[in-house]
Amino acid sequence: MNGENRITLEVIRHAAIFASEEMGVVLRNTAYSPNIKDRLDHSCAILSPGGELVAQAEHIPVHLGSMAVGVENTFRYLEREGETLEQGDIVLVNDPYIAGTHLNDLMLLKPVYVGGEMVAVVANKAHHVDVGGIVPGSIGGDARELLQEGVIIPPVKLVRRGVFQRDIASMIEANVRTPHYFKGDLRAQMAALNIGEKRIRELAEKYGASTLLEAWSYILDYTEKYTRSKVEKEGVEGSFKAVDYMELPGGELIPIEAEVRIRKGGIEVDFSGTSSQVEAPINAVYGVTVAATTFALKSIIDPEMPMNHGFFRVVSIKAPLGSLLNPRPPAPVSGGNVETSQRIVDVVFKALSQAFPDRVPAASCGSMNNIMVGGLRDEGGLWAFYETIGCGSGARPSMDGVDGVHTNMTNTLNTPIEVLEKEYPVLFVAYKLREGSGGPGTYRGGLGITRAFKILADRAVLTLMSERVKTRPWGLRGGLDAEPGDHYVVRSSGEVEHLPSKTTIILRRGDIVYINTPGGGGYGDPCRRPRSLIENDLRDNKITLGQAKGQYCYEV
Amino acid sequence: MGNLRVGVDIGGTFTDLVAYDEEAGSLIHLKTLTTPKEPSRGFMNVLEGLGKPLSDVKVIVHATTLGTNMFLGQAGLTPPKTILITNEGFRDIVEIGRQNRPELYNVFFEKPKPLVPRHMRVTVKGRINAEGEVLEPLDEDAVRSLARKYCGEVEVFAVSMLHSYRNPRHERRVKSIILEECPGAIVVASHEVDPQPKEYERTSTTLVNALLRPMLSRYLHGLLEELSSRGYKGRLLVMRSSGGVADSSRAIEMPAAFIESGPAAGAVAVAYMSSLMDVSKALGFDMGGTTAKASAIINGQPEVVSEYEVGGKVHMGRMLRGSGYPVRFPYIDLAEVSAGGGTIAWVDEGGALRVGPMSAGADPGPACYGRGGEEPTITDANLLLGRLPKILAGGRIKLRPELAEKAVRRLAEKIGMDVVEASAGIIRIANTVMARALRLVSLERGHDPRDFSLFAFGGAGPLHAAALAEELGVREIIVPPLPGVFSALGLLVTDYRHDYHASVVRMADELSEEELEKIFSSLEDKAYKVLRSEGVSEENIRLIRMLDMRYWGQAYELSVPYRGSLEEAVEGFHRIHEARYGYSMPEERVEVVVARLEALGIVRKPELPESRVKEYRPEADGRRKVFFEEHGWLDTPIYSRGKLKPGAMINGPAVVESDESTVLVPPGSIAIVDSRYSIRMKRGWM
Repeated sequence: MNGENRITLEVIRHAAIFASEEMGVVLRNTAYSPNIKDRLDHSCAILSPGGELVAQAEHIPVHLGSMAVGVENTFRYLEREGETLEQGDIVLVNDPYIAGTHLNDLMLLKPVYVGGEMVAVVANKAHHVDVGGIVPGSIGGDARELLQEGVIIPPVKLVRRGVFQRDIASMIEANVRTPHYFKGDLRAQMAALNIGEKRIRELAEKYGASTLLEAWSYILDYTEKYTRSKVEKEGVEGSFKAVDYMELPGGELIPIEAEVRIRKGGIEVDFSGTSSQVEAPINAVYGVTVAATTFALKSIIDPEMPMNHGFFRVVSIKAPLGSLLNPRPPAPVSGGNVETSQRIVDVVFKALSQAFPDRVPAASCGSMNNIMVGGLRDEGGLWAFYETIGCGSGARPSMDGVDGVHTNMTNTLNTPIEVLEKEYPVLFVAYKLREGSGGPGTYRGGLGITRAFKILADRAVLTLMSERVKTRPWGLRGGLDAEPGDHYVVRSSGEVEHLPSKTTIILRRGDIVYINTPGGGGYGDPCRRPRSLIENDLRDNKITLGQAKGQYCYEV
Repeated sequence: MGNLRVGVDIGGTFTDLVAYDEEAGSLIHLKTLTTPKEPSRGFMNVLEGLGKPLSDVKVIVHATTLGTNMFLGQAGLTPPKTILITNEGFRDIVEIGRQNRPELYNVFFEKPKPLVPRHMRVTVKGRINAEGEVLEPLDEDAVRSLARKYCGEVEVFAVSMLHSYRNPRHERRVKSIILEECPGAIVVASHEVDPQPKEYERTSTTLVNALLRPMLSRYLHGLLEELSSRGYKGRLLVMRSSGGVADSSRAIEMPAAFIESGPAAGAVAVAYMSSLMDVSKALGFDMGGTTAKASAIINGQPEVVSEYEVGGKVHMGRMLRGSGYPVRFPYIDLAEVSAGGGTIAWVDEGGALRVGPMSAGADPGPACYGRGGEEPTITDANLLLGRLPKILAGGRIKLRPELAEKAVRRLAEKIGMDVVEASAGIIRIANTVMARALRLVSLERGHDPRDFSLFAFGGAGPLHAAALAEELGVREIIVPPLPGVFSALGLLVTDYRHDYHASVVRMADELSEEELEKIFSSLEDKAYKVLRSEGVSEENIRLIRMLDMRYWGQAYELSVPYRGSLEEAVEGFHRIHEARYGYSMPEERVEVVVARLEALGIVRKPELPESRVKEYRPEADGRRKVFFEEHGWLDTPIYSRGKLKPGAMINGPAVVESDESTVLVPPGSIAIVDSRYSIRMKRGWM
């Protein structure tokens, strides 16, 4: 490859990443729901005409890792249906068994044509706050089948050769609780695709369509080659097993088991031994399993290189059909995306900690701590809000965990309290770090968060979809486990009602909901933590005096 | 009052001055060493060098990096002890931030250390809701006892309470109680600094402002006193991070808006020069003694962003969201790396040659300055490769090659190289680091560097430009006149600028033009008052009215010019939305969020000398051996820039020297002096 050509390919590589970021900005700037405009619960990517991920903006891992699976499945579906993708088409899909996450994530994709030839696909996913189903916010509750989690949209052409299919949008609008948000967010997703298309076309005009296609294979081959040699250079070979558990709504624990096999130039992850699918909304579709597994591997083996399909080529993932991690329809899946994905990362990390002892942290809190609240406003009209709450990250070899942060499969922002209180009938009473919740260790696990709000409407429905209320985020190498999640409602009467990890309840005016998210596990023997750091934590009230004396061997 | 307009730019190593005599139309420029421990001394030194009484000076425009240096943890600049007072239950808003992590796949990620540690964040009862209604009264006794407890203990009280942008009553009350109990205390309340919703960003902006206040106010007050004791009667202006200047009293009050004033000055200079020259795509490359800065200027406009993160980290070419401290003041987007003439080369544990981020700065400076520096720097390497003259800064700095050689030799021996190989290695590594910064503002933002002209300036910029141009493939290199003080020149081509805004938050169809007129005229009254107090005369004031609008439901607005007709503004909004995002929704309701006034005080720009181009081949002033990568040592003609006239054509290899900067013309390149005395350099022209 000559120097000039190499510069061109590098220009295209960067321009594609930049284009996906620009798509994200357009989506954010034009969206209507706080979940997207403030929390940035959306992701954008550019794929090759064959559906291989070539560039992504660093948005939400669970969206990103599943995007390629989703696009590939959509292509296959369209082919079966005898549909061809034409210039100006935009396809919409949310069926998790095709799109790869859960019904709330609407995936849109658009082929980019130049001179009659498809040169790329631009795609995005955005989490819509409500897509119908039994509870406001659509996730969780007591769903026993997919139909109860909202409206199912197989791949449909929302835009056909440039013509917006109004009737399709209206049909969906009629099935969701917050149609104004839905409309605005959907427009935003389309606008983002159009910007992505425009940027790719500009590149094709400048450098030629064939150069663009050459650039895609250059990017993927390069990442693949780089990753293979990286795995090889590690010099680690062998098979590493681990198991961890999910909590069913009734409290029963079910296993996720992984065996990570590392060989020269390739990694295989096998989830045989994992529980069968369940009649509860924590099944994870295969796209989620792929997303979480590749995330965990990439984080430990190569966090540096921009993510694309070249990385996927080095990894093979086996999850038995009919299991929790590759269910058959119509198993409900809304929590698989947000909760089971976190446990998959925990399990793969645990296995990898045997292979790379100095690189893997103790368990992070292992939950996205999803809450959905909705109901009827005093002034009429339905409201629904969704958010996820940060927690403690696991302590690292040589570093404390991070307090109050989103870990692993999500990285959404919080919703500013000043925005929430303006949009919804809620009033916050606390948002702070949860003292003493981090797992003690030479390196302390991060603290969870306390977030509490009062309901200012006559009646509202609260759904909690969380994890690690029964089990604790584990410590590593002598580090102790963290405090589990602890959620409750203080009724306006003063009565306190404790909540399990997954539940749906009715709230009344004046009730206060307290969410206390888990901390991260500790790393190393807590008695070896330097005295000065214990004293700093005491001064900042991050640990209790009882913990200092009891677990850190601290003498006053 | 005098005729001189003076720009003083204090960098990490040099303090630069450019003075423009408005009557004579002449430019004077000077350079002295920065005095990092007491920057005002360097300021006075360079003013003395001007050799004119301060009564001849009409105005001084200043740029400083003091603020950034504090957030980058520079020794000797410790943040003041500060306490944050906030609502009960919400002590950790600044520590949790937006709960995201700056890097997706890095399990060893870090969040920035909170600006104020947890035990210095205290809470009081008192709550206001989103409508501005008081739900719970402020616990004034608690505030009073906090004020007593911390009076004298802390330097600054910061106050940030929920919904204060809507109703500042509690914050105002907290402030006045503190001032009653602790007269003279510095109290910074969030509604005064950044009256906009989103509690984390407002609190962070407030804290950055609060932490900078004592230092900036000591520094600027000190300067003002010293200046007036020396007979100066004019005004001291400071460059904003966004370009534009304002009176130093504004900088004392709102230091967070001025934090990147130094780097902004260079970008503003490139913007000015590139429009003069009709260069539509310009990359600014400013390499001084401590850092190198890169900026992209398209159609004469630097990119200004409305929010940025102080002390943020960059990864894979992008500012990592959540890695620094958000500041909601506009800022010229640029990239800065630790690579300047004084940057130190060293060998790491693995035996690899490394350059930076440590710098020998102005004190002791590179080894060859002979001021006690023993570490080899980029300047030492350039000197040993024959690229620098033996005298810098117009004779004030004499370079000693034997000291440079001693320093580089020690390093070379560790890695088994000779001095020349090691010197060339140092330059190569530094160039890689700087190329990253340039890539960041071009390639990584989707621009093809091959469409750009590279403006090289700063003392060391023109020396490294050719190698970087080659690496990035830019069209041409432009070395402006006075490259060594070009940023300081930027201070003189900048207009006064103040931005005012008022919150509206009303549907366009419920709003009347009379109401808007009232809002705008009150903003304009403020603007007139401030600009007049800054000495801007009526005919030089320009006021631009804008409305920030969005579709009802969106959270991000677009600015639309307002010329007195709401209907026209709404139509303009649909049009701009269409252009920006590819669609518009004329059937949807449009919300007017903010009324915005841009108030400019136009200043007379210095006129740069210009004459007709007459092509000729100048005579060399001398020759010496210069080392070029790929060619080795070449007998190279040396030209004195001061003698070159428009039309001079020089084939590389060549070195063009001037007082404060040296241009390296490699073999195969040609340099031509254009009508405004810029050197324009291309590869393989002939």
